[in-house]
Amino acid sequence: MTHPLPDPGPDLAGAVVHVVDDDPDLGAAIARMLARQGFVTRAFGDPVDLLGRYPAMPAHAVVSDVMMGDLDGFGFADRLRALDPHVAILFITAWPTTAHAVDAVRRHGGLDYLEKPIDEARLNASLREGIAWSRERRAAAARLAELSPRERQVFDLLVQGHGNKAVAGLLGLSPKTIEDHRAAVFAKTRTQSVAQLIALSR
Amino acid sequence: MTALPRPFRFAVADMGDDAGTARRGMVRLDRQDWWALALYALAFAAAHRVSHLWSGSGFYSLWFPAAGLRLALMWRMGARLTPWIAVVEVLDNVVLGFVSLDRAGGVMTIWGIIRPVFAYGLTVAGIRWLAGRRHGTLLSAPMPFGLAATLAPLAGAALAVPQALYNPELTGVTNMREVIVSLSAFVVGDLLGTLFVAPPLLWLADLAQGRGRQRRPAPSLAVLAEALGVLALGLGLSRLLTAGGLGVQPAPVLVAVAWIGLRFGRAAAWGALLIIVLIVLPDTAGAMATPERLQYHLALATIVVAGYLAGSFADAQASARATLERRDRLLFQAERLKTLRAMSVAVIHEASQPLSTLAIEARHLRHLTADLGGDLGGEIAQSAALIDRKADHLATMIRRLRRFGGHAADRPQPVAIAALIDMVAPLARAEARDAGVALEIAPATPDAFVLAQEVELAQAVMNLVRNAVQAARDLSPAPPVTLSADVAQDRAILSVTNRAAASHAPKDGGMGVGTFIARAIVEAHGGTLSRTRLADGMVLATLSLPLVEPR
Repeated sequence: MTHPLPDPGPDLAGAVVHVVDDDPDLGAAIARMLARQGFVTRAFGDPVDLLGRYPAMPAHAVVSDVMMGDLDGFGFADRLRALDPHVAILFITAWPTTAHAVDAVRRHGGLDYLEKPIDEARLNASLREGIAWSRERRAAAARLAELSPRERQVFDLLVQGHGNKAVAGLLGLSPKTIEDHRAAVFAKTRTQSVAQLIALSR
Repeated sequence: MTALPRPFRFAVADMGDDAGTARRGMVRLDRQDWWALALYALAFAAAHRVSHLWSGSGFYSLWFPAAGLRLALMWRMGARLTPWIAVVEVLDNVVLGFVSLDRAGGVMTIWGIIRPVFAYGLTVAGIRWLAGRRHGTLLSAPMPFGLAATLAPLAGAALAVPQALYNPELTGVTNMREVIVSLSAFVVGDLLGTLFVAPPLLWLADLAQGRGRQRRPAPSLAVLAEALGVLALGLGLSRLLTAGGLGVQPAPVLVAVAWIGLRFGRAAAWGALLIIVLIVLPDTAGAMATPERLQYHLALATIVVAGYLAGSFADAQASARATLERRDRLLFQAERLKTLRAMSVAVIHEASQPLSTLAIEARHLRHLTADLGGDLGGEIAQSAALIDRKADHLATMIRRLRRFGGHAADRPQPVAIAALIDMVAPLARAEARDAGVALEIAPATPDAFVLAQEVELAQAVMNLVRNAVQAARDLSPAPPVTLSADVAQDRAILSVTNRAAASHAPKDGGMGVGTFIARAIVEAHGGTLSRTRLADGMVLATLSLPLVEPR
């Protein structure tokens, strides 16, 4: 799917952040500002360009303008989300409206909606929150990726609340086999309880 | 007119130009009232004496200018003076010996004197009341006065009918024919008085108090020629008909004055009527048979009523047209403001884009240069810090301005009253300072919120302050204006207080549009706007809005 993304350190330095704004000066300024915070940043003047190159250069977070030429920030966010469900998206805009702010968060999975001129402290805080979220999601996804197809089936039924016997019945396997699969799931995902598995699945 | 207790409350829309004078108490008279009554006593006596020249049996006079004095006084000072005017007229009659109270029927004599006074008072009060409630062509200024001048004499005659029928010997009439003659004569005499004497008196009073309407341009020669030509034609035709043996024929003159009135308004009509009266009255004074004199004066009254009402109607039309034009201008202004707002919003947004870059880079530059050593380094650091500070200031300003333009199109949101006052304060202070009026703004409670479109509500408060400042400015020395905000139960109360002259009419073209707009805004916010005149000459404009919880 996408290229692996290096895990940022505990202070989130090294996290990858893309900036999209059809004003290249502003995009570059924000990118450089974020780079000074220790993020690995890159500015894009065209959202379509970023979408095309994203699989080769995924990011923890994307800061996107709302009003852009052909593809607006919201349409861009929807397509980006389809490419990578674990990327945090922040919107910035020069035309803030209440309706947009609500849509940005509720319908387009935005983490924040900031008006220009940008409040640096707030952008920073939101971005850190977004990167942390993205990192967690990616780590969970990585752990689940190690499961074999059968283990994945068992995992899915366990997090739905089924007990060992029920899972065995549903999959047509013996309870003993299920016990083994279950132990493998706990080991590979480095968890100890079904509650932790459920947390991982969210 | 009903006497209102003080302090009285009245809706803003009722603030006609006479509201201040007409709404004082009926019983308590102020100094202005005393002067007016004293002057009236003298003028009434003189007018009464003059009218004796046109008297006849069974009636007093066919030309009674005193009626005009009475109507003018009532129209100007309010019908509340009616009882006092009655007292003055009785005293005048007794002192000057027009009546004697010794003989039997003294009470009836006094009743005969005060009866028309009360008829006039009722008419004036009734028409004022109607004009204050309804708005139609017949009741827009100056039609109410024209109607009062026409109807008051008729009301006087109507009130006299019972006595004329059941107690005719008092007036010395003996049969039905004489009763009719007597009452017609009464109406004619009074009509000529009210329509002739009252208008110029009121005009003079307006002029003396500086309340005159905007000066009319002097009539052009063409207008003068047309009016005089039409009048001469009417008079000539009338004479011709009389010479042809058809008796007194007022019709041509009637058409002429109606024409003049409709074409050129009240002033022109009154001028034409003056010419006619000056022609007729000397002829009918002194020795002339009563029926003949009555015929002349009835014709004269017909002409005067028609001419004056035609003129009033034309003036009312003109003022209605002016109102429409003003409304058109307001609409145009509103359109322009809308465009301006859209433009300013666009400018704010456009400016915010490059400013975003500037602010980021300026901050960076400041951090980069903060520790530079040496003279040059220090200077660079100083400049960078300055640029950063200014960029930051500009960014804050853009955000605040955006609240102004952008959110106005949005739904109303909770607005802190204190923030509203903060928004109005700099604008209001500047205007008050320019007008030389002290503005006191009381600190507002910090936790009162109302649901509002901030900019519009600020506009409403601003309009109230502006009105108060204008009212205060016209006084000398200018009294202070106070703006304060309070909370009463579940409502926020914003008050603007100022001292104002009793009859404050807005100057410099202001027609109370500001109050109109303020009221529309406040009512759109589910609030009310009221104006109270307190007993000590203070005017209190109160804006009340429901409180909400801040989100």
